[in-house]
Amino acid sequence: MTAAPTAQVRRRAPRATSTVPRNAVRLLRVELRRNAMPWILPLIAALFWFDSYRPSTGAAPLYGLRTFWNMGQGHTIIDFGPFVAAVAAWMGSRDGRRGLADLVTATARPRWAAQLATWAATAIWAVAAYLVFVGVMFAMYAHQNVGGAPPWWWVAVGSCAVIAFSAAGFAVGAYWPSRFAAPVTAFGAFLAMALSSQEGFRSASGWALILPTNSNGGFDGNAQTDGGIFYPWVPDLPIARIMFLAGIAIVAVSLTGLPARAGGQRLRRAAAVLTLAGLASAGTGIWLASTARLSARGGMVIPALHDAANDAPIAYTPVCGHAAGIPVCLNPAYGRWLPDVTAALAPVLAEVAGLPGAPVRATQVAAAYPSGTGGPPQAVTLGGHPPVLRLSLGLLNMPGPCGFCDGPVATSQFAGQIRLLFASAFAGVGDGLGSPVQQAVQAALLQGAGIPFAAQPKLIAIVKPGPDAGPSAQPGPATGPVYAAARRFATLPAAARHAWLAAHLAALRAGQLTLKELP
Amino acid sequence: MNVEISDVTRRFGRTQAVAGVTLQTGRGVFGLLGPNGAGKTTLLRMMATVIPPGSGRVRLLGRDPGEYGPRREIRRRLGYLPQNLGYYPGFTVAEFVEYFALLKEMPPGRVPQAVATAIERVDLGGRARAKLRTLSGGMLRRAGIAQAIVNEPELLLLDEPTAGLDPEQRVAFRTLLRDLGERATVIVSTHLVEDVGAACSELALMDAGKIVFQGTPDELTARGEGTGAAGDAPLERGYSAVLAAARSATAAA
Repeated sequence: MTAAPTAQVRRRAPRATSTVPRNAVRLLRVELRRNAMPWILPLIAALFWFDSYRPSTGAAPLYGLRTFWNMGQGHTIIDFGPFVAAVAAWMGSRDGRRGLADLVTATARPRWAAQLATWAATAIWAVAAYLVFVGVMFAMYAHQNVGGAPPWWWVAVGSCAVIAFSAAGFAVGAYWPSRFAAPVTAFGAFLAMALSSQEGFRSASGWALILPTNSNGGFDGNAQTDGGIFYPWVPDLPIARIMFLAGIAIVAVSLTGLPARAGGQRLRRAAAVLTLAGLASAGTGIWLASTARLSARGGMVIPALHDAANDAPIAYTPVCGHAAGIPVCLNPAYGRWLPDVTAALAPVLAEVAGLPGAPVRATQVAAAYPSGTGGPPQAVTLGGHPPVLRLSLGLLNMPGPCGFCDGPVATSQFAGQIRLLFASAFAGVGDGLGSPVQQAVQAALLQGAGIPFAAQPKLIAIVKPGPDAGPSAQPGPATGPVYAAARRFATLPAAARHAWLAAHLAALRAGQLTLKELP
Repeated sequence: MNVEISDVTRRFGRTQAVAGVTLQTGRGVFGLLGPNGAGKTTLLRMMATVIPPGSGRVRLLGRDPGEYGPRREIRRRLGYLPQNLGYYPGFTVAEFVEYFALLKEMPPGRVPQAVATAIERVDLGGRARAKLRTLSGGMLRRAGIAQAIVNEPELLLLDEPTAGLDPEQRVAFRTLLRDLGERATVIVSTHLVEDVGAACSELALMDAGKIVFQGTPDELTARGEGTGAAGDAPLERGYSAVLAAARSATAAA
């Protein structure tokens, strides 16, 4: 130890207030360098890969479906939350565990300010890792040519959730400086996520929509595949959730500033005000979520937050092909399926080609969603002058991987589905099964398009299940008066069928014909 | 006077840790001697503004630590080495010292030089980049001293600073203490009377929460002469004699 330093340090001048932010930045840099969060990131990365990314690749390559699992049901948050909370608790309890509380207290910087630097470093690591992991996942999706736009608002929700977990964990550690704080916090966070998921599965409306693991409305199964394709992702519910999660984070961090040892009266008063502000923010978020309703075009709308600009459709240049000489145009997000769609439509379009009610073109439209009345949405409709076939492919399982089906969707399965829906639309069947004569014409058209009568009951049971159809419901045989009439009609020469359809199509669609009138 | 303490008490539950201490001291090295449980650490923690006194009056560096603003000013000018020094195992020596320099709100531009100087002064320059978890107990103690002196404190409180130091380091440390005492008030709490004898210009002996002696090392030595008190060195005999006298007076009362 040297008694006299070679360069004697001059007596310190009075502190300039401008040094405080620079000082805080340097403090943050030290904390970032020595934070425990990077040690846990490899584990989170592995979990993220196996729990968030891999299962999503089983879904169709559309952002709405790929992110249903990891963003909608909040698996990215589940993968991060408990670990982030645990590490934050570890960091929050550091001074107490290490016996440094006295030394830190005896310094000029308020204890709360020092704690904030420690927490901020923890949160920065956690959020940066979350954004990097999600960014890599989206980059891989982009490499796989996944269609649509990424749900950035939901990424913001995930980031806020990570911040909230870090703040809550840090507060636990600060108040309970024990080595057990971290594991207990991890368990508590995991339990909270499990309960949140359970409530999320149950509740499709009300306050539970605020839970970051509740996919209802925001990501509603196949009803939301058009999110980011025809319309922007609706930011209303994400904003409410961000308010809620930010509120939790503010409350948790502010609570560590309330004890007398945290700092001066002014600082503690500020902490109290922040606590109240956080509570207000979280409460407002819950209230806003409870006012959310499902919009007709999909996505949860919160009237108090809704911006009409988000209802404007996304401009796009369609990708087009031809089926039986008729142009078929799809949204570019569905471009990969254009050959499947044209191949599926070609036989049925050929069956009706030249008829007055036959479509002159087919075009994909955004799916219309049920809003409580009016029965199930129609995936294929026919209307307008001249007639246009409108395809809401967002309501269908497209060929290939299907994360929420029994297995991948076969091209033939998809083709059968499209043909049935087209024949139904052409015969004017509508929501239900249709009148007997409509069913007979539909069956004859399908037979002509390559779907034998014997296979049709099963196809109908899958595509248009009745209200009492359960998993054990068995389709009946292709017998009875409907199929008898259909067989009779199908054996007519094509010209005769066309002539009858040209003469009776309007009456057929209006449901004014009986089976006996079918030749 | 940099330290003005009058009739200060502090109680922890049923234990009266400090029972009416009055003390004044200015620049120089002041030794605080006493047996285990005498109240030295509690008195030092009060001077370090970690805990408030139960009663009595404390003024440090001409300010009242009971008020937040003055307390912060005191803390900016304070160096403190607790008895049980904790540390962050993942920090390097330089980071540890820098961390506390920043917590002491030193001007950021001065921090790197001050950190380097403090580390050099405790002879840890060669281990500045070593993680604290790799250091021996004595080296950790020196890192603790470095963080205490990094801000060139006007009031330096050292609780058992030489615990764990080898004889060579203790000698060097005493030299450092004398040097620091020329510009600041240094209060050293210790069991080791030879440290006090070598480095302190004034000392106080505490027992049962009270100061039973205050004076120079020579005066303490004089108290032991001819008493037959236990001790290998004159100062130790003075220490033992004063303690014995204080205890018998308490017993008689």
